[in-house]
Amino acid sequence: MIPTKESVELDDRQLVEQIRRGDDGAFEMLVRRKTSKVYGLCYRVIGNGEDAKDISQLVFLKLWENLEKYDAMYAFDTWLYRMVTNVAIDFMRSKQSRDNAVNSNLRLVKTSIDPEQTVTVARKEVESVFNAVSNVLSPKQKTIFVMSEMEDLRSSEIAKVLGCRESTVRNHLFNARKLMQAQLRKRFPEYARLWEESR
Amino acid sequence: MMTCHYFRTNLQPGNADAAMLEHLRHCDACLDFAMSVDPDLFFRSLGGEELIPPGGIDAFVGDVMSQVRVYDAEASLAPRHAVSAWQRWAIAATVAAGVTGATLAYRYEHPVQAQAPAHLVAAVRPRPTTTATKSFVETYSSHDATIVEMPNDGSDTKVVMIFDDKLPADL
Repeated sequence: MIPTKESVELDDRQLVEQIRRGDDGAFEMLVRRKTSKVYGLCYRVIGNGEDAKDISQLVFLKLWENLEKYDAMYAFDTWLYRMVTNVAIDFMRSKQSRDNAVNSNLRLVKTSIDPEQTVTVARKEVESVFNAVSNVLSPKQKTIFVMSEMEDLRSSEIAKVLGCRESTVRNHLFNARKLMQAQLRKRFPEYARLWEESR
Repeated sequence: MMTCHYFRTNLQPGNADAAMLEHLRHCDACLDFAMSVDPDLFFRSLGGEELIPPGGIDAFVGDVMSQVRVYDAEASLAPRHAVSAWQRWAIAATVAAGVTGATLAYRYEHPVQAQAPAHLVAAVRPRPTTTATKSFVETYSSHDATIVEMPNDGSDTKVVMIFDDKLPADL
Protein backbone atom coordinates (compact mmCIF):
# COMPACT_ATOMS: atom_id res chain seq x y z
CA MET A 1 0.00 0.00 0.00
CA ILE A 2 1.35 3.46 -0.91
CA PRO A 3 1.61 5.77 2.10
CA THR A 4 -0.86 8.61 1.81
CA LYS A 5 -0.37 12.21 2.89
CA GLU A 6 -2.73 11.48 5.76
CA SER A 7 -0.48 8.73 7.17
CA VAL A 8 2.54 11.04 6.99
CA GLU A 9 0.92 13.28 9.56
CA LEU A 10 0.01 10.48 11.93
CA ASP A 11 1.91 10.19 15.18
CA ASP A 12 3.65 6.97 16.23
CA ARG A 13 0.69 5.54 18.14
CA GLN A 14 -1.68 6.18 15.25
CA LEU A 15 0.73 4.56 12.85
CA VAL A 16 0.85 1.49 15.08
CA GLU A 17 -2.95 1.36 15.02
CA GLN A 18 -2.88 1.50 11.21
CA ILE A 19 -0.34 -1.32 11.08
CA ARG A 20 -2.46 -3.43 13.38
CA ARG A 21 -5.31 -3.00 10.93
CA GLY A 22 -3.08 -4.50 8.23
CA ASP A 23 -1.62 -1.38 6.63
CA ASP A 24 1.89 -2.39 5.49
CA GLY A 25 2.46 1.12 4.15
CA ALA A 26 2.11 2.48 7.67
CA PHE A 27 4.84 0.12 8.82
CA GLU A 28 7.09 1.28 6.02
CA MET A 29 6.42 4.83 7.13
CA LEU A 30 7.30 3.97 10.72
CA VAL A 31 10.56 2.28 9.66
CA ARG A 32 11.50 5.30 7.56
CA ARG A 33 10.74 7.63 10.44
CA LYS A 34 12.73 5.69 13.04
CA THR A 35 15.67 4.45 10.97
CA SER A 36 18.19 7.14 11.89
CA LYS A 37 17.22 6.97 15.57
CA VAL A 38 17.56 3.18 15.70
CA TYR A 39 20.63 3.02 13.51
CA GLY A 40 22.28 5.92 15.37
CA LEU A 41 21.89 4.23 18.75
CA CYS A 42 23.05 0.87 17.37
CA TYR A 43 26.04 2.47 15.68
CA ARG A 44 27.15 4.35 18.79
CA VAL A 45 26.77 1.29 20.98
CA ILE A 46 28.30 -1.21 18.55
CA GLY A 47 30.80 1.08 16.82
CA ASN A 48 30.63 -0.64 13.43
CA GLY A 49 28.45 0.50 10.54
CA GLU A 50 27.69 -2.89 8.98
CA ASP A 51 26.94 -4.60 12.30
CA ALA A 52 24.81 -1.64 13.35
CA LYS A 53 22.84 -1.92 10.09
CA ASP A 54 22.20 -5.65 10.62
CA ILE A 55 21.17 -5.10 14.22
CA SER A 56 18.87 -2.24 13.22
CA GLN A 57 17.14 -4.47 10.66
CA LEU A 58 16.76 -7.16 13.28
CA VAL A 59 15.18 -4.58 15.59
CA PHE A 60 12.59 -3.62 12.98
CA LEU A 61 11.81 -7.26 12.30
CA LYS A 62 11.27 -7.80 16.03
CA LEU A 63 9.14 -4.69 16.06
CA TRP A 64 6.91 -6.16 13.34
CA GLU A 65 6.75 -9.47 15.16
CA ASN A 66 5.83 -7.94 18.51
CA LEU A 67 3.73 -4.96 17.51
CA GLU A 68 0.63 -6.58 19.01
CA LYS A 69 2.29 -6.41 22.43
CA TYR A 70 2.81 -2.65 22.33
CA ASP A 71 0.71 -0.87 24.92
CA ALA A 72 -0.29 2.57 23.69
CA MET A 73 -0.32 3.80 27.31
CA TYR A 74 3.46 4.11 27.04
CA ALA A 75 5.61 6.25 24.77
CA PHE A 76 6.41 4.41 21.55
CA ASP A 77 10.04 5.59 21.56
CA THR A 78 10.62 4.14 25.04
CA TRP A 79 9.33 0.77 23.83
CA LEU A 80 11.43 0.99 20.67
CA TYR A 81 14.57 1.99 22.59
CA ARG A 82 14.05 -0.96 24.92
CA MET A 83 13.99 -3.28 21.93
CA VAL A 84 17.10 -1.65 20.46
CA THR A 85 19.05 -1.85 23.71
CA ASN A 86 18.09 -5.49 24.30
CA VAL A 87 19.18 -6.58 20.83
CA ALA A 88 22.34 -4.42 20.89
CA ILE A 89 23.36 -5.60 24.38
CA ASP A 90 22.88 -9.26 23.36
CA PHE A 91 25.00 -8.67 20.27
CA MET A 92 27.72 -6.90 22.29
CA ARG A 93 27.85 -9.68 24.83
CA SER A 94 28.39 -12.31 22.19
CA LYS A 95 30.97 -10.17 20.42
CA GLN A 96 32.92 -8.90 23.42
CA SER A 97 34.80 -12.08 24.19
CA ARG A 98 35.98 -12.42 20.57
CA ASP A 99 37.33 -8.86 20.56
CA ASN A 100 39.39 -9.01 23.74
CA ALA A 101 42.53 -10.30 22.06
CA VAL A 102 42.39 -7.64 19.33
CA ASN A 103 41.97 -4.82 21.85
CA SER A 104 45.11 -5.71 23.78
CA ASN A 105 47.12 -5.30 20.56
CA LEU A 106 45.54 -1.91 19.86
CA ARG A 107 46.55 -0.74 23.32
CA LEU A 108 50.20 -1.41 22.60
CA VAL A 109 50.05 0.69 19.46
CA LYS A 110 48.28 3.68 20.96
CA THR A 111 50.38 4.04 24.13
CA SER A 112 53.42 4.84 21.99
CA ILE A 113 52.15 8.43 21.50
CA ASP A 114 54.15 11.09 23.32
CA PRO A 115 52.10 12.29 26.29
CA GLU A 116 53.67 15.75 26.13
CA GLN A 117 52.61 16.24 22.55
CA THR A 118 50.29 19.21 22.07
CA VAL A 119 46.98 18.14 20.62
CA THR A 120 43.94 19.80 19.31
CA VAL A 121 40.83 17.77 19.67
CA ALA A 122 39.44 16.96 16.28
CA ARG A 123 35.89 15.74 16.10
CA LYS A 124 36.69 12.93 13.68
CA GLU A 125 39.22 11.59 16.18
CA VAL A 126 36.81 11.65 19.09
CA GLU A 127 34.79 8.87 17.52
CA SER A 128 37.76 6.56 17.12
CA VAL A 129 38.95 7.40 20.64
CA PHE A 130 35.49 6.61 21.97
CA ASN A 131 35.35 3.30 20.12
CA ALA A 132 38.74 2.35 21.50
CA VAL A 133 38.24 3.29 25.14
CA SER A 134 34.60 2.28 25.47
CA ASN A 135 35.50 -1.37 24.98
CA VAL A 136 36.27 -1.59 28.68
CA LEU A 137 32.63 -0.93 29.48
CA SER A 138 30.11 -3.70 29.89
CA PRO A 139 27.44 -3.75 27.15
CA LYS A 140 24.93 -2.28 29.59
CA GLN A 141 27.27 0.46 30.80
CA LYS A 142 28.09 1.42 27.23
CA THR A 143 24.44 1.51 26.24
CA ILE A 144 23.61 3.74 29.20
CA PHE A 145 26.58 5.99 28.48
CA VAL A 146 25.56 6.38 24.84
CA MET A 147 21.92 7.07 25.67
CA SER A 148 22.90 9.66 28.27
CA GLU A 149 25.83 11.41 26.59
CA MET A 150 25.02 11.11 22.90
CA GLU A 151 21.30 10.57 22.66
CA ASP A 152 20.74 13.13 25.44
CA LEU A 153 18.22 10.99 27.30
CA ARG A 154 17.60 11.82 30.96
CA SER A 155 18.32 9.23 33.65
CA SER A 156 14.59 8.79 34.25
CA GLU A 157 14.02 8.05 30.55
CA ILE A 158 16.91 5.57 30.45
CA ALA A 159 15.51 3.86 33.55
CA LYS A 160 12.17 3.44 31.76
CA VAL A 161 13.86 2.04 28.66
CA LEU A 162 15.91 -0.48 30.62
CA GLY A 163 13.22 -1.24 33.18
CA CYS A 164 15.44 -0.41 36.16
CA ARG A 165 15.70 2.27 38.83
CA GLU A 166 17.06 5.74 38.15
CA SER A 167 19.72 5.24 40.82
CA THR A 168 20.94 2.15 38.95
CA VAL A 169 21.31 4.22 35.79
CA ARG A 170 23.27 6.91 37.66
CA ASN A 171 25.56 4.26 39.19
CA HIS A 172 26.26 2.74 35.80
CA LEU A 173 26.93 6.17 34.38
CA PHE A 174 29.30 7.09 37.20
CA ASN A 175 31.24 3.84 36.81
CA ALA A 176 31.30 4.17 33.03
CA ARG A 177 32.81 7.67 33.20
CA LYS A 178 35.42 6.49 35.71
CA LEU A 179 36.44 3.53 33.55
CA MET A 180 36.57 5.67 30.42
CA GLN A 181 38.81 8.24 32.11
CA ALA A 182 41.19 5.52 33.27
CA GLN A 183 41.32 4.06 29.77
CA LEU A 184 41.84 7.46 28.21
CA ARG A 185 44.76 8.09 30.57
CA LYS A 186 46.26 4.73 29.70
CA ARG A 187 45.76 4.64 25.96
CA PHE A 188 45.44 8.25 24.88
CA PRO A 189 47.54 10.25 27.36
CA GLU A 190 47.53 13.28 25.05
CA TYR A 191 43.76 13.64 25.48
CA ALA A 192 43.81 12.66 29.13
CA ARG A 193 46.26 15.50 29.80
CA LEU A 194 43.76 17.99 28.39
CA TRP A 195 41.11 16.44 30.54
CA GLU A 196 43.18 16.52 33.72
CA GLU A 197 44.35 20.09 33.17
CA SER A 198 40.79 21.28 33.22
CA ARG A 199 40.03 19.50 36.53
CA MET B 1 22.37 29.95 15.37
CA MET B 2 24.54 30.38 18.45
CA THR B 3 27.83 32.18 17.99
CA CYS B 4 31.16 30.88 19.25
CA HIS B 5 31.47 33.94 21.45
CA TYR B 6 28.11 33.28 23.09
CA PHE B 7 28.99 29.60 23.55
CA ARG B 8 32.34 30.33 25.21
CA THR B 9 30.91 33.02 27.43
CA ASN B 10 27.97 30.95 28.68
CA LEU B 11 29.38 27.44 28.91
CA GLN B 12 29.38 26.23 32.52
CA PRO B 13 30.72 22.88 33.75
CA GLY B 14 27.93 20.30 33.99
CA ASN B 15 25.41 22.69 32.49
CA ALA B 16 25.25 22.18 28.76
CA ASP B 17 21.69 22.55 27.53
CA ALA B 18 20.42 21.30 24.18
CA ALA B 19 21.32 24.50 22.31
CA MET B 20 24.86 24.51 23.73
CA LEU B 21 25.30 20.87 22.80
CA GLU B 22 23.98 21.59 19.34
CA HIS B 23 26.67 24.22 18.85
CA LEU B 24 29.37 21.99 20.33
CA ARG B 25 28.45 19.20 17.94
CA HIS B 26 28.84 21.39 14.89
CA CYS B 27 31.79 23.62 15.80
CA ASP B 28 35.27 22.14 15.83
CA ALA B 29 36.76 25.39 17.05
CA CYS B 30 34.79 25.26 20.29
CA LEU B 31 35.44 21.60 21.05
CA ASP B 32 38.89 22.22 22.58
CA PHE B 33 37.54 25.06 24.63
CA ALA B 34 34.54 23.00 25.78
CA MET B 35 36.77 20.20 26.92
CA SER B 36 38.88 22.55 28.98
CA VAL B 37 35.74 23.75 30.75
CA ASP B 38 33.99 20.40 31.18
CA PRO B 39 35.84 17.21 30.16
CA ASP B 40 32.59 15.29 30.20
CA LEU B 41 31.69 17.15 27.01
CA PHE B 42 34.44 15.26 25.17
CA PHE B 43 32.27 12.36 24.14
CA ARG B 44 29.06 14.38 24.16
CA SER B 45 30.27 16.04 20.98
CA LEU B 46 29.57 12.75 19.21
CA GLY B 47 25.86 12.84 19.71
CA GLY B 48 23.07 14.75 18.06
CA GLU B 49 24.01 13.88 14.52
CA GLU B 50 21.46 12.02 12.38
CA LEU B 51 23.17 8.86 11.25
CA ILE B 52 22.24 7.07 8.06
CA PRO B 53 22.89 3.38 7.51
CA PRO B 54 25.36 2.39 4.76
CA GLY B 55 23.55 2.30 1.43
CA GLY B 56 21.04 4.97 2.41
CA ILE B 57 17.62 5.01 4.04
CA ASP B 58 15.68 3.82 0.96
CA ALA B 59 17.77 0.68 0.60
CA PHE B 60 17.56 0.06 4.33
CA VAL B 61 13.77 0.38 4.39
CA GLY B 62 13.52 -1.84 1.31
CA ASP B 63 15.59 -4.54 3.03
CA VAL B 64 13.45 -4.37 6.15
CA MET B 65 10.21 -4.63 4.19
CA SER B 66 11.45 -7.62 2.19
CA GLN B 67 12.48 -9.34 5.44
CA VAL B 68 9.03 -8.63 6.84
CA ARG B 69 7.42 -10.22 3.76
CA VAL B 70 9.61 -13.32 4.15
CA TYR B 71 8.65 -13.49 7.82
CA ASP B 72 4.94 -13.23 6.97
CA ALA B 73 5.26 -15.90 4.29
CA GLU B 74 6.96 -18.25 6.74
CA ALA B 75 4.35 -17.52 9.38
CA SER B 76 1.53 -18.31 6.96
CA LEU B 77 3.14 -21.68 6.12
CA ALA B 78 3.43 -22.66 9.77
CA PRO B 79 0.60 -24.85 11.19
CA ARG B 80 -2.34 -22.72 12.26
CA HIS B 81 -3.00 -24.60 15.48
CA ALA B 82 0.41 -24.93 16.90
CA VAL B 83 0.57 -27.60 19.59
CA SER B 84 1.82 -26.28 22.91
CA ALA B 85 4.65 -27.94 24.84
CA TRP B 86 2.21 -29.36 27.43
CA GLN B 87 0.01 -30.80 24.72
CA ARG B 88 3.05 -32.40 23.14
CA TRP B 89 4.01 -33.99 26.46
CA ALA B 90 0.46 -35.25 26.98
CA ILE B 91 0.40 -36.84 23.50
CA ALA B 92 3.79 -38.46 24.07
CA ALA B 93 2.68 -39.84 27.46
CA THR B 94 -0.54 -41.27 25.97
CA VAL B 95 1.34 -42.99 23.14
CA ALA B 96 3.92 -44.41 25.58
CA ALA B 97 1.19 -45.73 27.91
CA GLY B 98 -0.64 -47.33 24.95
CA VAL B 99 2.46 -49.08 23.66
CA THR B 100 3.40 -50.34 27.15
CA GLY B 101 -0.15 -51.62 27.78
CA ALA B 102 -0.30 -53.42 24.44
CA THR B 103 3.10 -55.05 25.07
CA LEU B 104 2.08 -56.24 28.53
CA ALA B 105 -1.22 -57.65 27.22
CA TYR B 106 0.58 -59.49 24.40
CA ARG B 107 3.12 -60.99 26.79
CA TYR B 108 0.36 -62.07 29.13
CA GLU B 109 -1.39 -63.93 26.32
CA HIS B 110 1.77 -65.31 24.68
CA PRO B 111 4.26 -66.02 27.43
CA VAL B 112 7.74 -66.39 26.01
CA GLN B 113 10.48 -68.31 27.72
CA ALA B 114 13.58 -66.34 27.77
CA GLN B 115 16.50 -67.89 25.93
CA ALA B 116 19.30 -68.01 28.44
CA PRO B 117 22.90 -68.73 27.44
CA ALA B 118 23.80 -72.39 27.14
CA HIS B 119 26.17 -72.49 30.13
CA LEU B 120 23.48 -70.95 32.36
CA VAL B 121 20.87 -73.39 31.13
CA ALA B 122 23.21 -76.24 31.94
CA ALA B 123 23.86 -74.88 35.42
CA VAL B 124 20.21 -74.40 36.21
CA ARG B 125 18.88 -77.65 34.66
CA PRO B 126 18.09 -80.23 37.40
CA ARG B 127 20.46 -83.14 37.40
CA PRO B 128 18.91 -86.57 36.82
CA THR B 129 18.13 -88.14 40.17
CA THR B 130 18.95 -91.79 40.82
CA THR B 131 15.84 -93.65 41.80
CA ALA B 132 16.25 -96.21 44.60
CA THR B 133 13.89 -99.08 44.94
CA LYS B 134 12.36 -99.05 48.30
CA SER B 135 11.87 -102.21 50.27
CA PHE B 136 8.79 -104.06 49.30
CA VAL B 137 6.57 -105.09 52.22
CA GLU B 138 4.63 -108.29 51.70
CA THR B 139 3.63 -109.06 55.21
CA TYR B 140 3.28 -106.83 58.20
CA SER B 141 2.49 -107.55 61.81
CA SER B 142 2.24 -104.98 64.57
CA HIS B 143 0.07 -104.32 67.61
CA ASP B 144 0.24 -100.53 67.32
CA ALA B 145 -0.53 -100.19 63.62
CA THR B 146 -3.80 -99.18 62.11
CA ILE B 147 -4.44 -100.99 58.87
CA VAL B 148 -6.96 -99.64 56.43
CA GLU B 149 -7.94 -101.81 53.50
CA MET B 150 -9.46 -100.00 50.55
CA PRO B 151 -12.62 -101.55 49.21
CA ASN B 152 -11.90 -103.82 46.23
CA ASP B 153 -13.53 -102.89 42.92
CA GLY B 154 -13.22 -106.43 41.59
CA SER B 155 -9.67 -106.24 40.22
CA ASP B 156 -6.61 -108.12 41.48
CA THR B 157 -5.05 -105.00 42.96
CA LYS B 158 -5.57 -104.53 46.63
CA VAL B 159 -4.75 -101.24 48.36
CA VAL B 160 -3.89 -101.38 51.99
CA MET B 161 -2.80 -98.38 54.09
CA ILE B 162 -0.80 -98.93 57.27
CA PHE B 163 -0.48 -96.14 59.90
CA ASP B 164 2.25 -96.95 62.41
CA ASP B 165 4.57 -94.51 64.24
CA LYS B 166 7.21 -97.18 64.69
CA LEU B 167 7.72 -97.81 61.00
CA PRO B 168 11.07 -96.52 59.55
CA ALA B 169 10.82 -93.06 57.83
CA ASP B 170 12.08 -94.26 54.45
CA LEU B 171 9.57 -97.02 54.05
